[in-house]
Amino acid sequence: MSNDAPVSVVVIDDHPAILSGVEMWYGASPRPIIVVAAGASVREAWTAPGSAADVVVLDLQLGEAVPAFSSLRRLVDAGRQVVVYSMRDDEKTALTCLDLGAATFLTKSEGQEHLVEATLAAADERPYMPPALAGALGTNARADRPQLSSREENVLIEWFQSESKELVAQRLGISVRTVNSYLDRVRIKYANVGRPARTKASLVARAVQDGLVDVDDL
Amino acid sequence: MRIGGQEGNSERLVNRTVERYGVWLRSAVVLLCGALGLVWADASDVPRALSLLAPAVLASGLRLWALRRPLPLALLWTLDAAVVTPMGLAQPVLGGEGANAMVEVAVGISVIAFQFEWATRPAAGVALAVAGGAACVLGDILSSPAHDPDVVPLVRMLIQVGLSRAGYLIVRARARAADRSAAVRAALRREADVAAARRATEREYLATLHDTASATLLMVSQGDSRDWSWLPPRARQDLEALSAMPGFETGSVDLAALLRCVPEGEGQARVRLTTHIEGPLAMPSGPGLAIFNGVREAVTNVSRHAGVREAELRAWREGANGVVVELSDAGGGFDPDSVPVRRRGISGSIVGRMRAVGGTASITSRPGTGTRVEWRWHDRGRAPRTGDGVLQATGAPCPPRGQAQHTAAVRFIRGQLLYGSQLVALLICLVWQFTISLRRLVAHQDVYQPAWAQTAAFVCLVAVAVTGGAHLLRGRRIPPGVRGWCLGSVLAASAVSAYTLPAGHSTGPADWAFGVVGWHALFLLADLRVRVYAAILGAHIGINSASVVWHGAPTAAEAAVLGIATVGSCGLQLAIGVLMTHLLRDTAPAAGSAAAREEELRTRERIHEHLQSDHKERYRALTATTVPLLVGLGHGVLSPHDEEVRLRCGVEGARMRRLFAEGDAVADPLLNELRACVEVAEHQGVTVSLAVRGRPGEVPVEVRRELVDPVAVTLGRTRSAARVTVVWTPGAVRVSVVGVDCADDRTEASAVPAHSRAADPHVSVVRTRRGESVWAEASWSRPVSSGVDLP
Repeated sequence: MSNDAPVSVVVIDDHPAILSGVEMWYGASPRPIIVVAAGASVREAWTAPGSAADVVVLDLQLGEAVPAFSSLRRLVDAGRQVVVYSMRDDEKTALTCLDLGAATFLTKSEGQEHLVEATLAAADERPYMPPALAGALGTNARADRPQLSSREENVLIEWFQSESKELVAQRLGISVRTVNSYLDRVRIKYANVGRPARTKASLVARAVQDGLVDVDDL
Repeated sequence: MRIGGQEGNSERLVNRTVERYGVWLRSAVVLLCGALGLVWADASDVPRALSLLAPAVLASGLRLWALRRPLPLALLWTLDAAVVTPMGLAQPVLGGEGANAMVEVAVGISVIAFQFEWATRPAAGVALAVAGGAACVLGDILSSPAHDPDVVPLVRMLIQVGLSRAGYLIVRARARAADRSAAVRAALRREADVAAARRATEREYLATLHDTASATLLMVSQGDSRDWSWLPPRARQDLEALSAMPGFETGSVDLAALLRCVPEGEGQARVRLTTHIEGPLAMPSGPGLAIFNGVREAVTNVSRHAGVREAELRAWREGANGVVVELSDAGGGFDPDSVPVRRRGISGSIVGRMRAVGGTASITSRPGTGTRVEWRWHDRGRAPRTGDGVLQATGAPCPPRGQAQHTAAVRFIRGQLLYGSQLVALLICLVWQFTISLRRLVAHQDVYQPAWAQTAAFVCLVAVAVTGGAHLLRGRRIPPGVRGWCLGSVLAASAVSAYTLPAGHSTGPADWAFGVVGWHALFLLADLRVRVYAAILGAHIGINSASVVWHGAPTAAEAAVLGIATVGSCGLQLAIGVLMTHLLRDTAPAAGSAAAREEELRTRERIHEHLQSDHKERYRALTATTVPLLVGLGHGVLSPHDEEVRLRCGVEGARMRRLFAEGDAVADPLLNELRACVEVAEHQGVTVSLAVRGRPGEVPVEVRRELVDPVAVTLGRTRSAARVTVVWTPGAVRVSVVGVDCADDRTEASAVPAHSRAADPHVSVVRTRRGESVWAEASWSRPVSSGVDLP
């Protein structure tokens, strides 16, 4: 699935310390990740060289009172792969970002563990499910949520609780690989009910192709 | 309120008041009429009249006396019958023209009074009324055998008896309503008082715990290389502070664990203990600590006096709920009888201490044969403890009792009784007017001059009754303006009726108004002082007297008949007015005070009950875990240098912090209690991430305890980083903690009480361990129907 081609990223965050931290984590990635542009404004993603980056890492809180949902929507509509990287740790924000078509949603406290993996997954158009997002999906009570099996919900919640796929696998008596496939399946179900976006099309198509989900399941 | 067939305070006092009142009224009337009758009787009839009246007067006197000293009911009834029968039969022999009217009045008022006197036994009252009526008819026949007995007075008597019974029933219904509502309000207030008292003790308990055990344990758990010499005395002090709190003895402690902490002493003074303890020996903490402290003292005695350095300590269970502990040495021994009184080691520390907690300690020793000390304790179930049931001894806070509450209760009872009285007066007005008065008005149309004026006066009185009744039945007071107009109308009707009645008819069969006007006035003035009512009655009588004089001065005999008729109607009305005032001004406050006293007692009982069970619950949770730790630390058996001891202290400290947070008024108590545990861990340098997902809902406090406890335990044993999460799904709450346990598996298992409490069947705890990572999750399946979601 993955290849070793370098991934280009534009990072939009108004905090210099965060920017330098992100660049450091990318620097340690086994597969090259190049930050082609970084800045406090979403303009960076629309102007060269940021406009050609494979992945946009977007902070929702850009010095304004309201989260930058409209910027996210425009980026998604333009076919960009967006990783939302936010201070906000509530399920409402996470669900809204998924609805709008973000590739994934990460809280800042999860950055060190998950940002590199999430960026690579977004570049490859693979699903990625960090714990905070899993918690939000596991307790989602909205009417328009996709139908999840109880096992899928359980895996989501336990992944959120333990932040360790090994612990989840041990408790449920399954392999880490199976844990991953449950998480991926949930992500695809969400993509399937979401707004038409490149994320959705590619995620679902690939999942069906890989046999991860049945067309009848969706 | 009739709780279990018991009458409430208002009802009881109303019954007592009307009974006393009925007896007094009747006695007064009988004496007055008897005296008048004798004065007017022919000289030849006096002996016969006396022979009939004397028993009646005597019976009245006895009955009055019986108000203070209760006599058997049958005797009382006979006395009452003995009053009314001779009165009725005396008709032929009593004085002249007025005899008929006078006997009628006396018997009429008596049968009304019987309905009050025998209010709680209506059958007896009715039987007496029948006896009175029969005697009256018989007397009538005897006095004028020529014509048929007059039925009209009999019917009137019947109506009056019915009205008095109905009146009593109405007032009683209001009294019951007052009692019922007082009971409901009292129950609410009691709940509030009880809750306040419970909160107060809870706060005090938590404050003590915070200042003592919690502080000490947290210091130990954070401790690194420091000087620990302060610790043992401090731990012992804490233990004493806890033991001094009421209810402490109800907590349970494992004596086996305590006995393993008995210090053997240091250096030269050390006594090597061989222990044979069949544990666990769960028992109340009071006796448990008494045995432990006694054993500690006895071990010191071995090293001081026995001359040996070895002793044997045994402990075992005896019977279902007894414990025996035995300490023996093979030392020099002594003669127990020769120990000086001032040496308090044995008498105080060992024997006295055990006696205080309901156990025994005995010392067997002879010079040269060693010493054996034996402690025995048996659980006598719910045997009364000192202080149990004695309120003052427990120091239960008194319920706040304000004068305001009392006056509010009195005002309420008074309001109900007033309403009842007014309804009664209204009922009498209407019934009287449409039976007795209407019949007279219709039958004597040809007598009046002119008849239309009388009819207009009748309609006017009906209008007054209807107006007042409309206000009353809607539960409103009659406005002063309306009241003024109504009173004016009543007096005008009285005047019109008096002056359009031909001479000689006043108070006679044609006078429908004289007897009824007073009832209207009573109904209008029931809430004012009885003086006002008396003045209106006086005006009414004055108007009628004036009309009689205007028609021509009456003879003495006529005046006597008029006087008797006035006493018979207006006197009775005034008497009823006085009764109502008495009910409102004396009975209501008395009922209010009685209710307040009862209420205070009941509240105290409830508070006591609750405090006991609260204490029991709290200590059960603490003594099993905290007390052994403090005992161990206090006697140097557990060392603060030991990492395992520090971890245990950390866990207990976190548990206490959670307990402190339990009472906080916050929107999400579960999260609040978790934060309390997290703060303890963070204070010790653990990095904790706390995350919540889902919509918070309500969780009962017992369930919260079980949900949070695994977090307290895991955090208490973690020294680096941990993650705590709360997940609310529609059907469950899942509290999870992932930490890095620095101790090994075996000790971790011992820190988790396997036999903790009667766990909630809906709470399940799952633990997963992988390397050093420990993951504990407690989840509670929420009942689907329960729960208002918090906003």
